[in-house]
Order: sequence, then structure tokens, then C-alpha cells
Amino acid sequence: MDVFSSFYGLIPVTIAQSLIVSFVVLGVMLPFRILNFPDLTSEGAFPLGGCVCGTLITAGINPFLACAVALVCGFAAGCTTAFIHLRFKINTLLAGILVMTMLYSINLRIMGRTNIPLFTYDAVFTILAGASANFPSVKILIVGLLIALVVAGMLYFFMSEKGTSMRAVGASPDMAEAQGINVGTATIIGVGAASALSATGGSIMVQTQGFADVNMGFGILINGLAALIIGEAITGRQTILRQVLAPVVGSLVYYQLISFCLTLGLAPADLKFATGAFVLLMLALPNLRKSGGGVQIREKVRE
Amino acid sequence: MTTDMLAVTGGTKIFYRGTQDERRALDGLDIALKPADFCIVIGSNGAGKSSFLNAVSGKLPLDSGRISIDGQDVTKLNAHRRAQFIARVFQDPMIGTAPTMTIGENMLLAELRGKRRGFSYGLTAARRARYSDQLAELNLGLEKRLDMAVGLLSGGQRQSLSLVMAVSTQPKLMLLDEHTAALDPRTAKLVMDTTVRAVEELQLTTLMVTHNMEHAIKYGNKIVMMDAGKVLVEIGQEEKRGITVSDLIDRFHTKSDAIALQGS
Ligand SMILES: Nc1ncnc2c1ncn2[C@@H]1O[C@H](COP(=O)(O)OP(=O)(O)OP(=O)(O)O)[C@@H](O)[C@H]1O
Ligand SMILES: [Mg+2]
Repeated sequence: MDVFSSFYGLIPVTIAQSLIVSFVVLGVMLPFRILNFPDLTSEGAFPLGGCVCGTLITAGINPFLACAVALVCGFAAGCTTAFIHLRFKINTLLAGILVMTMLYSINLRIMGRTNIPLFTYDAVFTILAGASANFPSVKILIVGLLIALVVAGMLYFFMSEKGTSMRAVGASPDMAEAQGINVGTATIIGVGAASALSATGGSIMVQTQGFADVNMGFGILINGLAALIIGEAITGRQTILRQVLAPVVGSLVYYQLISFCLTLGLAPADLKFATGAFVLLMLALPNLRKSGGGVQIREKVRE
Repeated sequence: MTTDMLAVTGGTKIFYRGTQDERRALDGLDIALKPADFCIVIGSNGAGKSSFLNAVSGKLPLDSGRISIDGQDVTKLNAHRRAQFIARVFQDPMIGTAPTMTIGENMLLAELRGKRRGFSYGLTAARRARYSDQLAELNLGLEKRLDMAVGLLSGGQRQSLSLVMAVSTQPKLMLLDEHTAALDPRTAKLVMDTTVRAVEELQLTTLMVTHNMEHAIKYGNKIVMMDAGKVLVEIGQEEKRGITVSDLIDRFHTKSDAIALQGS
């Protein structure tokens, strides 16, 4: 019973955290699912957003403006990954790793050290809610409203003329090109937007946790992927509405699961292994069900 | 004299130039189409038919030569910029449509081909009604399935949809590359009938690649026979009347033998 009461106690904090990470999960979903561009830039864009925002806040810049600058920096990082892939024909994952690795140095340079405490500075939460900003319920409300706006905006965009053509680029690049869509531009903007979302998540995260750290992105991508997979299992992917809801639903469920496992006694050290194993299992499942998948591949080669 | 709807002069594309694998996909190709010409392109495997269509669409940039559409030089335009003039149906039913998107969304993408795409809502009620009408002409029941993913359709249904998408905006030029080759004979006939009806009704300037000699004789007002990246024989409207399959094959062999003799 003791275990459960401590789990219950953590539920609000976990919800607040998972809503913030929803930004990253949306940023993982967009390239993976909409653009068919497996992208790892989020892992670097999330701390980039945090470091940029943290540095600007300590420099006395308005936190809202700091978030906006973080967003723009994230956008630039994503555009860079897409550009590297398109221009130099480098695999998307490798392009993402390159950018992510280089971002680590950039993040360090931006902050000038590995960690900046932000407890004593104003954050978007204290500006909006004053002294009550520390209640999880207030954070849930603020971030919840923001994420609802973002999801609604994405939903509208993907049903607009422009958004439909961006989806076509992921669904069939040949077809998209034949319909007069500039595949390169759409890819760059889409991957850029995804990293902008991740960076925004990072900028909000540093303001709730009270510090910015260059290592804060470690493993965020796999967490995001795990959340996305869970979300899609719940909402499905048949319509664009389900596809944009999946990241938020998945993030909410995934972080409660993690919290539950931790209260049950899962060692934090084992967490990344457990998450990795989970993602691996989910990705492998379709192929495990088809027994003899390997044989099919060999037959294809023989033809 | 009317301007040519399509003019290719000296179109050349050489793969792996200067190596022992050198391939002359297009080798000084010259061709001109008048408005509303329905030109059938035939030739053996590797003759350069697909390369020709890809060069026109911009998918395959030429090494040298010029291409103009309706008097405008498009040689330097990218494929997506040329799409404002050109509609295509590919051989592979999987390529011409976006499988994970719905029939309605695919129709929307085609309607906006080469136009400015804005932030306004895409599949409006007015558009849906229009798409239903356009699809109803196929008699495949697609008009009732606007919200169904295209990936769930059969190859024939997808090709028919591709065709409706291609003709929905009155393109200056339509490119069909063996677009019925992947279909069973009955469906192929259905798609071919729809093609011919649309081309004639809308007076579309069309290039159609086929390996089917009967189709080459039956349809269109012009036949172009390609070999080794060049036009080998061109058969115009007058000559095309009353021509038979064996005439065609004879002309092909005579001409290529003549070339072989010249070469030796
Ligand atoms: N991307 C490419 N890389 C290398 N060579 C190519 C490429 N595309 C075409 N070729 C070569 O160009 C020549 C013409 O090919 P193309 O596909 O245009 O022929 P085709 O007439 O369409 O043939 P088929 O009837 O088999 O479709 C062939 O020798 C082919 O090997
Ligand atoms: Mg071909």
C-alpha cells in the first residue's frame, strides 16, 4: 500500500512533466510518421532549447522571449539535419547524429559551463501564476493549454492545403514531386518544425526543473519514441487527428508507467535499459509474428 | 502555324559517361508535338522511352539539348516546377498516388498541382462534392469512398484514380508510361478506355509509352518508334491509318538493319 500511496502522490508532478515532454514526442512523431524521415536531432535540440533559454533568462531576457529564441534555434538545428541529408545524400539518422554531436559543443559554448541554476529567476510560470506557480496543478494547466493549442494548430495545418502537401512528401515523394510540391523545401521546414518543438520542450523544462544542463537530453529520443509507440497503440494512426493526439496520450501514459515502475523498485540505473528493451520489442513485434520473415527476404534476393 | 506543345531538340542523357559502362539513354532525341497530339511511343526494352518521359517531366535532367512546352523553354526548370504543365501516370500503381492518404486528399493534391498552396482548409465540402462527381464517371464506386486510404485500393482502382487525378486540371501535357502494364487484361482495358475517352474529350496533348502494338495502332494520331535513345521511325496521322502490326514490325526492322549496316 505504501508503494501505491507514493505513486499516487507523484501523479500530478508526473503529468506536468509528461505534458512538457509531449513537445518532444510531437517533435519525434512529425519526422518519423509524417515525413518518413527517421530523425535523431531531437536529442540535441531538446538541450539546445534548454541551454539557450537558460542562458537568456540569466542574462535578464524575458522568459517568453527566451522560449521564442529557443524555438528558432531548434528550428535551425532541424533544418541543418534535413539540409545535410538532402544536399550531401547522407543517411537521415547519421545526419541527425552529426548535428546532435555538434550541438553538444554548441550548447556548452552557449552556457559557458555544464549547468546553470535558474531557481532565482522569473520563469514563464511565475510570470503567469505568481506565487502559486510551484503547484503542479498550475503547471499542468499552463502547459496543458499550450500543448492543446499546439496540437490543434498541427491538426489544422495538416488538413490545410500546405499541410496536405507536406504529408504527401512523406507518403510518396515521387508523387509529391509530380504534383508540383518542392520535396526538399517541405522536408527542411518539416524537420525544422519538429526540432523547434523539441527545443520548446527543453526551454519549458529548464524553467520547471530550475536549472539548465548540457546533459539533459540524454535518452530523450528513446523516451519519446517509447511514448509515441504507446500513444499510437492507444489512439491508432488511421486519421491525422489520431496521429497528432498519439504523442500527447502516449507521453501521459508512458511517464505514469515509468513512475509506477520506479515506485515498485525498478532501479533508476536500469531505466534506460528497460525503455530500450521496450522500444526494441515493440519495433520487433510485427516481424516476430511473421515467422519465417528471413526466408522471404532471401527469396526476394534470389528473384 | 501553331506553336508546338512539346518540342525536344537534341535531347541527350548519358549515364556513366566515359566509363566502359557508358549508357546512352537519350542520344540526340528530336521530337515535336502539336496541341492535342496523342503520340504513342514504342521501342524495345532499354530504347530510352522512360528516359524520354522522365526528361520531359524534369525527373531526369538532360546533359544537353532543349525542351520547351507550349513555347516556353523549360530545360532548366526542376520537376516540381514543370508539374504546373504536366500530369503523369506511372507504370507502378504504387508511385502515382500517396498510399497512406485518403482518396479525397489525393484528389486535392492533384487539383493543386502547380498552383499556390495556402493555409486554408484543404478538403472543403465544395471540393468533396466536385471530386465525387469526377470519380463517379469511373463507375468504380470510388466516389463513395473519399475518406478511404488509397493503399487499400486494388492496382486497377489506383491507376484509374491516378488517371482522374491527372486529367482533373487540364494539363498542357500528359505523360503515360506503360500505365496499364501492371494490370490484368480486363482492368487494363478499363483503364485504357478511360484514358482514351479523357484524352479525346479534353483534347490533351499526350505521350503514351506502350509495348502493346495493337494499342499503338488503335489509339492516338502519331507513333514514335525509339531505339538507342533516338527516334527511329515517326509515323504521322495520314500514314498511321490502315497500318498493321506487321507493317510496324517490318518498318522497325528495316530501319534498325539499315542503321546496323551503316555502322558496320
Ligand atoms: N538511372 C539510371 N542509371 C543508369 N542507367 C540508366 C538509368 N536509367 C536508365 N538507364 C539506361 O538507359 C537506357 C534506357 O532506359 P529506359 O528505362 O529509358 O528504357 P525504356 O525504353 O523505358 O525500357 P523499358 O521498355 O524496359 O521500360 C537503358 O540502357 C538503361 O539501362
Ligand atoms: Mg520504361
